[in-house]
Amino acid sequence: MELSRRRLLQASLLAAAGGITAACGDDSSKKKSSGPQDIALWYWGGGLSDKVVADAVTQFAAQATIKPSVVGGDFKQKLTTTLAAGRSVPDITGIKGEDIAALLPQAKQFVDLNTLGADKLAAQFLPWKWKQGSTQDGKLIGFPIDIGPTALFYREDLFAKAGLPSKPEDVSAQLSTWDAYFAAGVKLKAALPKSFLVATVSSIFGVAVGQNTVRFIDSGNKFVGDQDHIRKAWDTALKPFTLGIDAKINDNSWNAAVGNGAVAAEVGAAWHALDISQAAPDTKGKWRVAAGPGGPANIGGSFLAIPKASANPELAFQIISWLLSPDNQARGFTDAALFPSSPAAYKLPALTAPDAFFGDQVTIDVFGPAAEKIPIAYEAPGDAAVAVPYYNELVKVEGGKDAEKGWADAVSQAKQIAQKQGVS
Amino acid sequence: MAGRRGRGARPQSIAAAWRQYAAISPFFLVFVGFNLIPVFFTLYLAFQRWDGLGDMTFVGLDQFKFLVHDPVFWQSVRNTIVIWVLSTFPMLFVSLVIATMLNAGIRFSSFYRVAYFLPNVTSLVAIALFFFAVFSSQSGIVNATLHLLHLPEVGWLSNSFAIKVVIALLMSWQWTGYNAIIYLAGLQAIPTQLYEAARIDGAGPVQIFFNITIPLLRPIILFTLIVSTVTGLQSFTEPQVLFGSTAATNPNSGGPGQAGLTMMLYFYHQAFDNNDYGYAAAIVWALFLLILLFVVINWRLVTRGERKERAR
Amino acid sequence: MTKYKIGRLGIHAALLVGVLVSFFPFYWMVVMATNTTQDIYRYPPKLTFGSHLGDNISRLLDNIDFFGSMLNTAFVAVTVTVMVLFVDSLAAFTFAKYRFPGRNVLFGLVLAMYMLPTQLAILPQFIIVSDLGLAGTLRALLIPPLANAFGIFWMRQYVIGAVPDELIEAAKIDGAGFFRTYWQIALPAIRPGLAFLGIYTFVAAWNDYIWPLIVLVDPEHITLQLALAQLNTAHGTDFSMVMAGALLAIVPLLLIFVLFARNFIADATKGAVRE
Repeated sequence: MELSRRRLLQASLLAAAGGITAACGDDSSKKKSSGPQDIALWYWGGGLSDKVVADAVTQFAAQATIKPSVVGGDFKQKLTTTLAAGRSVPDITGIKGEDIAALLPQAKQFVDLNTLGADKLAAQFLPWKWKQGSTQDGKLIGFPIDIGPTALFYREDLFAKAGLPSKPEDVSAQLSTWDAYFAAGVKLKAALPKSFLVATVSSIFGVAVGQNTVRFIDSGNKFVGDQDHIRKAWDTALKPFTLGIDAKINDNSWNAAVGNGAVAAEVGAAWHALDISQAAPDTKGKWRVAAGPGGPANIGGSFLAIPKASANPELAFQIISWLLSPDNQARGFTDAALFPSSPAAYKLPALTAPDAFFGDQVTIDVFGPAAEKIPIAYEAPGDAAVAVPYYNELVKVEGGKDAEKGWADAVSQAKQIAQKQGVS
Repeated sequence: MAGRRGRGARPQSIAAAWRQYAAISPFFLVFVGFNLIPVFFTLYLAFQRWDGLGDMTFVGLDQFKFLVHDPVFWQSVRNTIVIWVLSTFPMLFVSLVIATMLNAGIRFSSFYRVAYFLPNVTSLVAIALFFFAVFSSQSGIVNATLHLLHLPEVGWLSNSFAIKVVIALLMSWQWTGYNAIIYLAGLQAIPTQLYEAARIDGAGPVQIFFNITIPLLRPIILFTLIVSTVTGLQSFTEPQVLFGSTAATNPNSGGPGQAGLTMMLYFYHQAFDNNDYGYAAAIVWALFLLILLFVVINWRLVTRGERKERAR
Repeated sequence: MTKYKIGRLGIHAALLVGVLVSFFPFYWMVVMATNTTQDIYRYPPKLTFGSHLGDNISRLLDNIDFFGSMLNTAFVAVTVTVMVLFVDSLAAFTFAKYRFPGRNVLFGLVLAMYMLPTQLAILPQFIIVSDLGLAGTLRALLIPPLANAFGIFWMRQYVIGAVPDELIEAAKIDGAGFFRTYWQIALPAIRPGLAFLGIYTFVAAWNDYIWPLIVLVDPEHITLQLALAQLNTAHGTDFSMVMAGALLAIVPLLLIFVLFARNFIADATKGAVRE
């Protein structure tokens, strides 16, 4: 009968759907007592060198079946979603530099790496970076991957054309203060009207804030975003705007601008080199690196952590220490522009090799000293949220808003957000 | 209708009706557990402070107090309303015009209907990406065309108002056809005798349109207006995809100057970027109240004409 | 007579302009997807199709597991559609054709929720899904559509019109019980309505963005919309590749829709007109 055939079909469709539903989507690692343990490693695109990760898979094949996942989209949101769910939690996870401060209060979600022997390795890493990954009571949550020492990336050909110093040593020496830097920008604009020194004031603000030893909230949990040091960073950031050397690029046209010379320089972290080379591969050889004006700061740089839910923390830590040995950190630099957090790596050939994108300059000569001089600043968990109004207001000022009003609005908003975060 | 027997079976006692309850229970259980209860739980959340991982702390009206003083929230309200106005009214008007034309008894009407409906089944993410590419300042075809016509180029994705226009255009492109088809159905339901009678009475096309068509179309117009309000005020995907980035300093912020920050985007940002679930719950309840307000306003506006008619 | 003809032509002309507006994004997307990114950046822009579709697609596949995510999306969409059709038609049939204590109250509840914005419940839904251990799995995507009141509402309207009381009375006389009546009498009668709701649900599930954005995590278990958005975030500057991805994401639905279009459009309006 037609009806019962159709009924059978519908019933089987439902059963199939139910069956697939039950069978699919479950990725919990099987726990075996002997043989290779499953180790899930999560990182974002460019967070680790894919080649180093691949080598780790073979290196540890006997003890571990490492399953790397490159998680796209909003990594922190995915991580916290998974931690909250408590299922399919990775054994090793990356944590981005901008997120570590907010995750440190959740320290009980992670294993204190010092209990796994991390403290013996502390001396190999830059102290301020080690501190950044630790809670205030000394637990190490994040194992350093890379750091983001800032420097000045500039178009050597455009600088030369404008009559500015163009050799890295000269630039480092002569453009060592923000004022000198901006004065050069004025000269650049006069000679090359289509070229701007600064892409957006937001980039300057980030660096200027980072050059201090205190950020928006001090270590006593008090809001200090209205104090002189932030005000100075604000004023510094707005100077290129008032001088007319700001390209005001706040949308996706940055890539094109870098490619066609509309943006002649960038003050950014070491990993920013990757952004530039990907945005404008045709400008290879035309860029150089010099010491950033006002001194170095740190932007970015990430960590690896082991969530508490991991079944094999000791094994996970072994893998982490292998992934982040000085040699592999050097490889990370070559493959993914991850600037090592371990000074021992700075002397390795990968780091001391000339960089073709920068016209065969040996960039470690700039970044190495910069990394050592980075000021240590306390970063409160709410720091990122509190900083947001400043950036928003800066863009509004670029769009024509009155600068004083922008400052006042930024500070009052930041204060409110800080209060919501529980800051006094 | 009077005197007609009740539909289907006689009313039964609860026990006797177990089959009916069983039939509606799969839906109802999921509905109550996943729709009804969460709505009230969101309200409960709005009185707490919670970061999703730790414990919840009761904070009374603090989240709402913060909301009232939060300039970014109010900006998101303004953005949401402006975008909604920009997308709804021109679109509904154009839809009505299209429907009227389709109703003129022309050939190929089913081709037109399919063609106009097509945008509605297109993935919003894909179209948002397309709009992103097309309205791009340096390489988009829109600015290129303006340049060709010797018109000034617009910073579509950086100018505060232009951003809203782009988002509104996105929404209009997707929904115009859908609304046109619905109006068409409404138009086709109007008996032609009415038109003929009016024409015999000497009424011109404009009079016919305003005195016959619009009043009879009123319930449908109300329907489309309400659907547009409820969906339009909740726009999320458009600004999120247009300006989404892994920018370290300000993810999901609605683009330059937060001009594209809608209330739903702000909600998402607070909940999942800042892990501030309590505040996010307050935001989404404010959005709900706004939607309710606008639906009521729309309702009264549209039915006011009706009441005026009856009074005549 | 001529005025009539000109009027007609005028209408066709105006409508064709609208059709061009509807279609232009698809055409331009193909142009962008078949050329290189440099071509897109060029001024004056290149208006014709290129020959780089293959290149763009291969880069696309290198960067994200496109077909994997498409498969995930298809699995979710099909499963959701089957479940929703079954659950909603059963409940709607019951509401439409049977009286039982509390029917009006329960349906009134459904009606009230129909008017509420769907996003109001997202946070607790996320919490529930997390607690159930379903966060990050595709199964989490199966639940919200089942709670959606639209299907019940629309299907009930449809059943009222499409299943005459006499048919049910006749079935009762023949000795059919409630579920038999549903399965053998009602379902065949509402087949066009099922077709519409099925397509509607399928399209909505295929295009859903915010919920997968919140609950899905690892790259093997994401849906197409998510993969596309992540592609743009990671490689947004490679316009031609992103557009190739967008094109491939749209095409399956377009095909399905064009095949079933007439049914879909006719039935879409039934729910509205009866408001």
